[in-house]
Amino acid sequence: MSDKKVKVPEAGQWPDNLVVPAVLAGAVLTTAGFLMAFLMVGPVNGAALSSPELVGDVMVTNQQLLSQKIFYFHMPVAIVSFVALVFAAYYGIRFLMGRQQRFDTCSRVAMEIALLFVVFTMVTGDLWTRFEWGVWWTWEPRLTTYLILMLIVIAYFVLRNAVDDPERRAVFSGVISIIALVDVPICFMITRLIPSSVHPVVAREGGMAPDMVAAVMIIMAGMMLVAFGLYRLRFRQARLDERVQALKDQLEDY
Amino acid sequence: MKTTKRGDSPNCHFAAKPSTFSQYKTLLAKDLRQEFRTREMLTSMGIYALLVIIVYGAALALTANGLDIMKMGGGLLWVLIVFTSLLGLGRSFAHEKDQGCMEGILLVPLDRSVIFLAKTTANVLFMLAVEVIAVPLFYFFFMTGQPVAPTLPAIVAPLAVGTIGMAGIGTMLSTITMNTRAKDVMLAVLFIPLIYPLLYACVTATTAAIAGTEFWTDYFVMPLVLACGYDVVMLLVCWVLYDFVVSA
Repeated sequence: MSDKKVKVPEAGQWPDNLVVPAVLAGAVLTTAGFLMAFLMVGPVNGAALSSPELVGDVMVTNQQLLSQKIFYFHMPVAIVSFVALVFAAYYGIRFLMGRQQRFDTCSRVAMEIALLFVVFTMVTGDLWTRFEWGVWWTWEPRLTTYLILMLIVIAYFVLRNAVDDPERRAVFSGVISIIALVDVPICFMITRLIPSSVHPVVAREGGMAPDMVAAVMIIMAGMMLVAFGLYRLRFRQARLDERVQALKDQLEDY
Repeated sequence: MKTTKRGDSPNCHFAAKPSTFSQYKTLLAKDLRQEFRTREMLTSMGIYALLVIIVYGAALALTANGLDIMKMGGGLLWVLIVFTSLLGLGRSFAHEKDQGCMEGILLVPLDRSVIFLAKTTANVLFMLAVEVIAVPLFYFFFMTGQPVAPTLPAIVAPLAVGTIGMAGIGTMLSTITMNTRAKDVMLAVLFIPLIYPLLYACVTATTAAIAGTEFWTDYFVMPLVLACGYDVVMLLVCWVLYDFVVSA
């Protein structure tokens, strides 16, 4: 059929040129923030201990003061995972509006990035739980809702694998990516809704010192850039894959 | 005569389009009639609920006497409800799919979200019918040995709110999983994380009502409000998105 021009998925738009600078800048910023968190930012409220001491009723050691540094990675990574989920849902909506296959790929790749950062958050959060609270896991509201968020993201990929028809798969996963977004505000707000939660709410505990804010912001910017770079790289790869597949199908028709 | 949307030609006489409510009633009546004739869902869900209670009996055989069952009762009851409704929801589109009923419904020019509302209502009714049997059974087997708090009847509220939310989310998800490989596993994988916030709130409220301690309303009202909020948000999202899912 020569009159019907077969559309081949396009790949390699201009944002791909930003990948290398973005990843490099992200790596530099994250490293700078890492060094800053350990070398420049003091422990919370300037606390420092040479030996274990009793503060209030709690035995505090330098290990606990140092493990607070996990916070500088834990929170930015968690925020990036939320942002990735928002993008996944946004592209899910775009797909359902126009049924362009491109947006399904966008949504899927954003969800993959979300999964990566959700896993990072769980790992850093678990280190925190172990060293600050002394347990590997506790059924605390924030931890629980975040675990659920991770399970929803995993379920998204399980669902994708279980549907054969590409059109149908795209619709279903678009819908699930929108439903998954409902859990994001819940996870974000839960420590404010249930005040008995042991999860620290920074704003409730008097906010951060300026040097802490600076370190968090630098690391967050770095993580965002890394996430963007990964997203574009993965998107390009997925898109090229689709392009090759479409070209193969086209060749078979001749 | 009022012209219908597609009746441009004056010779073209369409019967008056049935109202959305009558479409809803027809679809709901179809589900209920089918159930009354086969009794498939109610018997399978009822027997399953009884079996879960029997498994509880084995699981708690040695510890039941020393255990404060009033503190655990809410949780156990909800485990029973979640697994029973999972079974029922998985079946709820089986007939539609097997006997080609879904194609018939989709051929009718109706707003697709009416299908969602009718199916959700049917699932709520089935789940409530099973709960009406299962909750007294649970009480009979595990809670008669202990003094009952006067606040026990208040568990009706979290049960109702939880059932509505679970039926709504479950109807949406079983429509999705109807077309996937390994339907039942897929439904569980999606259903349990998505109802989790609702489940958490409902278990808290139910446990507060069963225990009935002095400040029980502190643990009853707030979770119930949150559960209602989750219900509203989820039902709205599912209602809006149902059109895409059912026509895919």
